[in-house]
Amino acid sequence: MVIQVENLSKIYRINQKTPGLGGALKSLFRPQYLDKVAVDGISFEVGQGEIVGYIGVNGAGKSTTIKMLTGILAPTTGSVRVLGRDPHQERVANAREIGAVFGQRTQLWWDLALIESLNMIGKLYDLPPAHYRDQLARFTEMLDLGEILHIPIRNMSLGQKMRAELAATLIHDPKVVYLDEPTIGLDLMVKEKIRAFIKQENRERGITVVLTTHDLGDIEELCQRVIMIDMGKVIYDGALQTIRDRFGKYRTITLELSAMLGTGDLDLLDDTEIEAIDGHKWRIRFDRTRTSASKVAAHVMNQVDVNDFSLTEPDLTGIVKQIYQGALNDIKVSTGELAQVTV
Amino acid sequence: MNTLILRRHWRAFAGIAEMTPKFFLAYRAWVWLAFFSQGLSMTIFLFFWRAVYENTDQIGGLNLDQTLTYVLLAQVISLSVWTNVVSNMGHMVREGQIGVEFLRPIDFQWAQYLGGISQLAISLLLNLPLLGLALLYGAQLPTDVRVWIAFLVSLFLGYTVIFLFDWCIACLVFYTTEVWGLMVFLTGVSAFFSGVLIPLVMMPTWLQTIAAALPFSQVVFVPVGLLSGTIPLTEAPARWLTQLIWVIGLAIVSRICFQIASRKVTVQGG
Ligand SMILES: Nc1ncnc2c1ncn2[C@@H]1O[C@H](COP(=O)(O)OP(=O)(O)OP(=O)(O)O)[C@@H](O)[C@H]1O
Ligand SMILES: [Mg+2]
Repeated sequence: MVIQVENLSKIYRINQKTPGLGGALKSLFRPQYLDKVAVDGISFEVGQGEIVGYIGVNGAGKSTTIKMLTGILAPTTGSVRVLGRDPHQERVANAREIGAVFGQRTQLWWDLALIESLNMIGKLYDLPPAHYRDQLARFTEMLDLGEILHIPIRNMSLGQKMRAELAATLIHDPKVVYLDEPTIGLDLMVKEKIRAFIKQENRERGITVVLTTHDLGDIEELCQRVIMIDMGKVIYDGALQTIRDRFGKYRTITLELSAMLGTGDLDLLDDTEIEAIDGHKWRIRFDRTRTSASKVAAHVMNQVDVNDFSLTEPDLTGIVKQIYQGALNDIKVSTGELAQVTV
Repeated sequence: MNTLILRRHWRAFAGIAEMTPKFFLAYRAWVWLAFFSQGLSMTIFLFFWRAVYENTDQIGGLNLDQTLTYVLLAQVISLSVWTNVVSNMGHMVREGQIGVEFLRPIDFQWAQYLGGISQLAISLLLNLPLLGLALLYGAQLPTDVRVWIAFLVSLFLGYTVIFLFDWCIACLVFYTTEVWGLMVFLTGVSAFFSGVLIPLVMMPTWLQTIAAALPFSQVVFVPVGLLSGTIPLTEAPARWLTQLIWVIGLAIVSRICFQIASRKVTVQGG
């Protein structure tokens, strides 16, 4: 196993500040702390060459986990081992073999042209010059760096910066790469370029990737496995396909009616639910294990003329929304159900 | 063990040493401004000490020429010798940039130290014009090469002492992200006890004792003393030894402090 995480927790201790001078003095002598459990006893393993999607809502604890995996943050309890090392204790040895992108940060030097930054990184990792040149040529082509090599990072657009960042992260042939929101704020073209790049590096070099993202397109495109966390706990760990099958039982049919109707004017089958009504357009969600699109459509057509209709396949966004809602409203049931698919 | 780190990563460290000036030179405008204000304070010192010596030939065993030489040279090097370890660390912790630095495949402290040494060298070169001003104002430079070597060695060791001391202080940044007050305090104390303002030999004995117990004099009073002749060349080896003891002691303490403090690092943002 490349990554082994056991019972890992992180509790942030936040110094509570009372407003005003009196409060400031008081907190100087008797500090008030608030403990925030960001990661709560998670365990998982990642094998060599896997691409794992690490997902969850804002504040779920994704970045905190990644920081502990990279070694820049010490766990409160539990253990992390990456390539057999404790990444916090052996930070430098660990750093030589991993790469990490934090979407909102840069490891490049703000004032230097990209090529200067990359040269510097080549020296920091002590890469043999010939190998470095090969890597640079390969990345320049794959990530289209040609036009930005001589621009300082401070003058780059978001998409250019992220491509530069990826090159900097992978140029030393890391065995494990952590990507914390690598596609945040990027347009589709750049996203696709980046996904293709990660995919290729994974396929050809067997790098192991842990990826957090709110863009489920990234997950669908790259990951066979997802780990989902909520409030610091793992609520799902398993194949992407399993969640798709298990939770993808709802579909949406959109019908364009010939007349404007109100909610009460139309009788609907059981196992269906109105998702939205937009003028003539009705979006109806149904459970495909209990009924079918043709039954739903026929039932409506018996009552009113239908000009047009279309069917939407379930996508991950919808599925994840369901799981999140389930996790929040009715956590017992869903963890019970999900626990079975945990590998 | 430390030399092993140095040998293994020499390319990395050479890279750092080579890169630091690029950032430093990006702030050229500030260099000019610093020149100007330093030139001004050297002028003030000149008139001040001339006035002080109106009615006397000797203070603390120094005559006017010796004092001027010491004070002016101290002004010239004082622009270069102070580290910005504390403010850098504060900045990196507040902005979360420390996380990125921790991801680099080299020892963080060594990287910062070599960056500092490289900056010291560049800054000394850039400040050479101020040396011209010092000569104009009556400072006398030694002609004996051995004095220059004694000076450079003690400056290097002294800088290392201050770097390591500041490193210990900077570890506090991990506990309180508010360091501005501390820095103001330290700047004041270090200016007073380092010997930038007056040669320490002019101070009452009890103040000299305090100054000797603090690390600040190692980077101004000792090297400038050697260069200006206030400290005779024969004392150089003993001074180096003292500095070396400071370096070893602080190296150990700063490592331990950082080891403890870095467990506290929470890396903001993301
Ligand atoms: N340095 C810190 N000090 C105190 N609390 C923190 C700190 N960093 C994160 N937290 C808290 O820990 C929890 C988890 O944060 P984390 O950044 O890991 O979430 P995330 O899953 O990455 O969210 P997002 O999707 O918004 O990036 C949040 O409640 C956050 O407020
Ligand atoms: Mg995050």
